[in-house]
Amino acid sequence: MTKRRMFLRMITASLLRRRSRMLIALLSIGIGATILAGLVTIYVDVPRQMGAQFRSYGANMLILPKEGAMLDSDHLAEALQKIPQDELIGATPYRYVRLDMTSRQQSFTAAGTDFTQVPKTSPYFSIEGAYPENTREVLVGKSIADTIGVKIGSTMELTYQPTSSSEELSPEESRIPNAMLSGSAEGFGGGVVYVSLQLDGNGAIESLEINAETQTPEYGGRTAEDEAFLAQFKGKKLPLTAGEDVEALSGATVTSEAVVTAVNTARKTEKTVKPQTLNFTVTGILTTGGEEEGYAFLSLEDMETLTGSGQLDVAELSVSAGAEQLETYADAITQGDDTVQARLVKRVTRSEASVLEKLTALVFLVTLVVLLLTMICVSTTMMAVVSERRREIGLRKALGASDGSIRKEFLGEGLFLGLLGGVMGGILGFVFAQVVSVNVFGSSIMFQPLLLPITIIVSMAIAALSCLLPIKRAVAIDPALVLKGE
Amino acid sequence: MSLLELKNISKIYGDLKALDNVSLHVDQGEWVAIMGPSGSGKSTMMNIIGCMDKPTKGEVLLDGVDISRESSKNLTDIRRDKIGLIFQQFHMVNYLTAVENVMVSQYYHSMPDEEEALEALERVGLRERARHLPSQLSGGEQQRVCVARALINHPELILADEPTGNLDEANENIVLDLFAQLHKEGTTLIVVTHDPEVADAAQRTIVLEHGKVAREVINENFGK
Repeated sequence: MTKRRMFLRMITASLLRRRSRMLIALLSIGIGATILAGLVTIYVDVPRQMGAQFRSYGANMLILPKEGAMLDSDHLAEALQKIPQDELIGATPYRYVRLDMTSRQQSFTAAGTDFTQVPKTSPYFSIEGAYPENTREVLVGKSIADTIGVKIGSTMELTYQPTSSSEELSPEESRIPNAMLSGSAEGFGGGVVYVSLQLDGNGAIESLEINAETQTPEYGGRTAEDEAFLAQFKGKKLPLTAGEDVEALSGATVTSEAVVTAVNTARKTEKTVKPQTLNFTVTGILTTGGEEEGYAFLSLEDMETLTGSGQLDVAELSVSAGAEQLETYADAITQGDDTVQARLVKRVTRSEASVLEKLTALVFLVTLVVLLLTMICVSTTMMAVVSERRREIGLRKALGASDGSIRKEFLGEGLFLGLLGGVMGGILGFVFAQVVSVNVFGSSIMFQPLLLPITIIVSMAIAALSCLLPIKRAVAIDPALVLKGE
Repeated sequence: MSLLELKNISKIYGDLKALDNVSLHVDQGEWVAIMGPSGSGKSTMMNIIGCMDKPTKGEVLLDGVDISRESSKNLTDIRRDKIGLIFQQFHMVNYLTAVENVMVSQYYHSMPDEEEALEALERVGLRERARHLPSQLSGGEQQRVCVARALINHPELILADEPTGNLDEANENIVLDLFAQLHKEGTTLIVVTHDPEVADAAQRTIVLEHGKVAREVINENFGK
């Protein structure tokens, strides 16, 4: 038998035949290694986990129209090209308008959107029922549903009233295709003449109604009924000139001129464009705990049918990239296009970075504490082992063991413990990390093959380090103690 | 031929003279007993002969080498090479089997050789108990393992400290018979004891009192 084999036989016998004491040392190394391996596994996997986690808080980038520009789906698609497709989790367009539910005399904000993208950028949306899949289907926020008492399967008649800021518009600005205008002017004898006119698709007068009740019926009053007089207006573009575009009705010059003035100064009024009404079926009720509960969501197609325009207000993007990378994408989008700009949802991206930073520090700190505790525990146990084995050590020295042999034997035992603890910790650590990951992040983690040898090496190093002081004690034992019949 | 010679050695702890100007001469192959009440300096003398302590004054020649001024590292080497130790409390490594305990001594001395260790156990009549742990052996068996361990490296001197102090009479006789065999083979034996029967088995008895050699008794009946 070689010396090496005898050496291994001695240290394994020491560990295997003196189980209870060694079990404590093994457990402390094993548990330390488990926590260590687990934390490192989580730590390595955390950026991936956190990314996914933060994506579940929703969008981290917005695409908006630039000042004075209009955003539509083509511009959006173009902007999205600037982000790598594998990093783009979802892009949801939104168009917000107010819709009326005339039957209930209610009015609320409706959002036209793409329902295939909504779950990707707003994963926190909690739906009772289902997302709309077809046109004429609507997803209703919970507070609306409660207020107007709709349920899944109910129908809702929604009307788009193109509310215009007509009061703000000048007569010139009001002359837009299909606009309905109304105006007034002072006629004969201080009485006011009212007109209302409908423009056609080219902005020319399609029809005109005159209210001249304040004028003398036989003279000015006739302007409202005289077919020939009214016919002069039809097909003409504003402004009109009295005497050229329109001949005054004989005997009613003042009233005729007042009508022309009223037409020229007519402004766009409410309810000018014909209100559009559609019937919707409720497919789901939305609960978010936020303001979305006060919205109704419908498809972009329906929104276009209602409003006659395919414009978008904003698109919410969820991109799986770090804060700096996001910044780069946003700049590329903003600078590459005249109509769109991209903005980061700072709250999310910033907190993602700062949480990661804090987590790193925390893992580092916990690792340090765990290492220290493990060392203290192993050291204490080994110290107890040394005093327990004083006589044995004395005997070995009396039998001729040099200080070096004693050192080697205890270090050997320590390293052997470290090896066992490291293997145990490497395996249990993965299990631990898996459990934590599944419970905290809700997803499993990847096994890091390199972690097992690293855990073993670290455990052995810790065990060896912990043995230094106990070994010093062991070496100092006087062999003569075995002779004194202690 | 002299194997061990103590020349006027003293061991002083503060005011206490554990050994006071003691001289002793042991020849190769001699069997000597050292007796004395507790506090007489037996243990101190044993430690010095066993290379585990150094005298304050005087010279100790072991096999012609003065060990009184050696470093503790060299003392360890000398002890390993020349001395086999047997203790009152047996002192076995409690997690190693009988044969492994014998092999520990080989391990520190040179090379572990299981066959040779088993032969040594056979010699003390314990070959069939070789795979037992100390806890499975009786006190007498344990002490016999220790005898086997002490002789495994063929030491020039076997130093036994109260070897039968914890044994019954039957086991005491077995151990003394083993000593007698070793003596016949030419091994030098120094046995420290307070048991007159054990001392009587030796050729010569040195009696210590108050750190001095009080008298020396030659055993007239030795070998009869």
